[in-house]
Amino acid sequence: MTTNVDEPAETTPPTAPARKSGAGSGLNRLLNARSFEAMLLPIAFVVVIAVFGIARPDTFLQWTNFTTIFGLNSVQLVLVMALLMPLTNGDLDMSVAETSGLVSIMVGWLNVNHGWGIVPAILVGIGVGVLCGVVNGTIVVKFDVNPFIITLATGSVIDGIAFWLPNQQTIPGISPKLTDWTILHHLLGIPLDFWYGIVIMLVMFYVLTFTPFGQRSLFVGQSREVARLSGFKVGNTRFWAFVIAGFIAGISGVINDGVLGAATPGPGDLLLSVYAAVFLGMTTIQPGRFNAVGAGISVFFLAVAVNGMSLLGAETYVQSLFYGVFLVVAVVGSRTINRRRAASAAAAAASS
Amino acid sequence: MTSGTEPAAPANVVNSGAPALEADNLAKTFGAHRALKGVDLTIRPGEVVALLGENGSGKSTLVKILSGYHEPDDGGSLRMNGVDVPLPVPLGEARHVGLSFVYQDLGMANDLQVVENLFVGHRVTSGFGSAARINWGAERERAREIFKRYGVDLDPSAQVGRLRPTSQALLAIVRAAQELREYRESHEGRGGVLVLDEPTVFLPENEKVFLFDLVRRVTEEGMGVLFVSHDMTAVREISNRAVVLRDGAKVGDVNVNDTTDAELIELVSGHRLDRATIDQAMTYRTEEMQDQGGDVVLAVKDVRGGRVNGISLEVHAGEILGIAGLLGAGSEDLPYLLFGDIPGASGEIRIGEWSGDVAELAPSKSRKLGVALVPADRKQKGVAADLPVSLNMLSLNLKNFMQSGFLRLDKILSTANERTKEHDVRPRDAGLKMSALSGGNQQKVVLARWLEQQPRVLLMHEPTQGVDVATRHQIYELMRARAAQGAAILWVSTDFDELAAISHRILLCAGGVIAGTMAPPYTRDRITSEVYSATARGGAREVSTQS
Repeated sequence: MTTNVDEPAETTPPTAPARKSGAGSGLNRLLNARSFEAMLLPIAFVVVIAVFGIARPDTFLQWTNFTTIFGLNSVQLVLVMALLMPLTNGDLDMSVAETSGLVSIMVGWLNVNHGWGIVPAILVGIGVGVLCGVVNGTIVVKFDVNPFIITLATGSVIDGIAFWLPNQQTIPGISPKLTDWTILHHLLGIPLDFWYGIVIMLVMFYVLTFTPFGQRSLFVGQSREVARLSGFKVGNTRFWAFVIAGFIAGISGVINDGVLGAATPGPGDLLLSVYAAVFLGMTTIQPGRFNAVGAGISVFFLAVAVNGMSLLGAETYVQSLFYGVFLVVAVVGSRTINRRRAASAAAAAASS
Repeated sequence: MTSGTEPAAPANVVNSGAPALEADNLAKTFGAHRALKGVDLTIRPGEVVALLGENGSGKSTLVKILSGYHEPDDGGSLRMNGVDVPLPVPLGEARHVGLSFVYQDLGMANDLQVVENLFVGHRVTSGFGSAARINWGAERERAREIFKRYGVDLDPSAQVGRLRPTSQALLAIVRAAQELREYRESHEGRGGVLVLDEPTVFLPENEKVFLFDLVRRVTEEGMGVLFVSHDMTAVREISNRAVVLRDGAKVGDVNVNDTTDAELIELVSGHRLDRATIDQAMTYRTEEMQDQGGDVVLAVKDVRGGRVNGISLEVHAGEILGIAGLLGAGSEDLPYLLFGDIPGASGEIRIGEWSGDVAELAPSKSRKLGVALVPADRKQKGVAADLPVSLNMLSLNLKNFMQSGFLRLDKILSTANERTKEHDVRPRDAGLKMSALSGGNQQKVVLARWLEQQPRVLLMHEPTQGVDVATRHQIYELMRARAAQGAAILWVSTDFDELAAISHRILLCAGGVIAGTMAPPYTRDRITSEVYSATARGGAREVSTQS
């Protein structure tokens, strides 16, 4: 049980006891505690944009600044989606960033060092990502060991391989086609890689909300015992969650190659920012649940805030400070909100 | 150190002839239900008093009043060692008034060493104040002395989780006795009461003697012991007196040596073994008894696993088969064993047309074969408390709600809302979180989840535990209706009222085997006396029920 992520989950929360608002006017609805909490992040987003917009109207508040942010954060956006399935199942996957890094290197290594076509290189690269997920899932499920420690360890191994393959060098000169199809081609003025991220986000939203697999995962994450005694194949669900994580992390690695035009090992510092985003995402859209759209919004919230700060002249180390603080705020915040909500739900049930 | 609660009067006032524990008129009312109706209890120093009574007789309420968990009704009093103790006993401070407890689950930190468990809360330290360090060597030495004094053979450095269950129980008792040390030192080395709540339930028969020896050593030091148990043999072995509760009232306070098993059982059950015929049968059921001719849907032969030690039985279509056994009898593992959830199981099983070994089963497979399991531990095993009622109710049928690749959440919710009406789940809002429902309503959701599957075999384990009376009867009706439609139901319960009300046929379980088939008529009292006698006999022989 200790392996379960401490998920203060709540789904369709009891309609908060709307005491005064008999029929519940629109305004009252909007102001009631629950929707207000769910709106906190979007509101904060607007406030952040307004503040930076006033401070740096000439640089920050430009459409090109935003399209740049959208184009440059697709790696995070996709990587966040990789975390969702394991987290929903109650498992932490700490190896996604390293998996992404290895796939980047793999694609570059095959394409540049071995002269493979870019398409087969990408396919094999993503296959390697899937393989990383298979290894994680197999070890965690088969030996029933703590996924946090195991994925921390496999992440280190994966990272090691990623540095070893290209002799710790960046691999430049990846097929320009990849760059074309990631950041150079635009759709509605925004680079394509952003749209790839959006598509994956929508797919994850669909999988989590509209498939039996996603809903079963919720049960597994809530209580392994209940899921098992309901006849769910708990081990299978957890295994596939890791595989999906590896697959999506692989895609983020390919996008990273396209964005940089080169393959670099070691994007391990992405891990904290994607965890900050996924937990922050729990506070909005479907509050209390790890959810794709909330996580996606959070990625850009964090990215816009960091961008604004750097335009105000902040040094790059502010980023890690900022992500760390936001991870704590997100986890504590969603926990507190849920506890309060559970208490009021219990009170409401007792009084009815 | 911890001087949380001092007894009301100074220690030197202690009257030398005072009982270790003297309780008067302890009562507890829950809502409209008087769980304990003014019970007196006296335990003298060095005396072992057995507390007997079936489930719901008020035993655990009494123990919980002593531990401070329940606040008793006004009018009761408690004297320890001649000193008045204000009620309620402050929770967690019981040992400062001279009471310490060993519960069935023992409360050990399994990953820690024996010494760490023994001295938890008062480690042996050297140095002063915040500079104090734990002195491991001295601690081990102390532990060895203590074990020697009580004649217990335990390695202080062993990891508790790796000890045999019996050794763990011994350690728990030594620790509880040790907890009273401070109290006894401040009371001229007198008094103190150890409450042992069902400590022998899960221990192998031949190892219980170690426990009895230890209890004797403890009483030789002058402590009193309250021994709560279903286990007649154990009671007989170590107790001097037995206090019997029934329906919250004290119905007997007898000297164990002057009382036969039959007399004790009669006190517990309120039913004389030789007057079986006077009992009124529950009329609605006796007619149903006749049409028991359905096909055998579930048949098992010599299944083993967990505490089940070779059980064979058959359940027919349309039949509710009650399994009556006390805690630890093996019956509590049977539903999980037949569902394929106990590792290392063996034995033949046939479910409908499928037959094979129990070891081949797993919950997912059992479900496909049309088996349902309603577990006793609703919180841990039955419901996902943070998910909505709708999902909890329809989680097994999600595929039916797929429409062109999308799970229709709206349909799930509306179907679940319909089901809340059908099964009278209140409040009728399937969008609520499961945890907002009362225990009884949660259980209806669990039942609804399985009934949706149209199972042909239902394995029920204490399905009405923590369920209010009205809901209980709804559940009985629901299950009777299912049986009438042809389901085979195996119903394991320690609530014999329930078994009497619901079962078409009752098997007695003791010591991991079926100790006999009980002939009708079924009443709570008859089942109680039969089960206790089967357990007292070691449960191997056939029970004669015709008198």
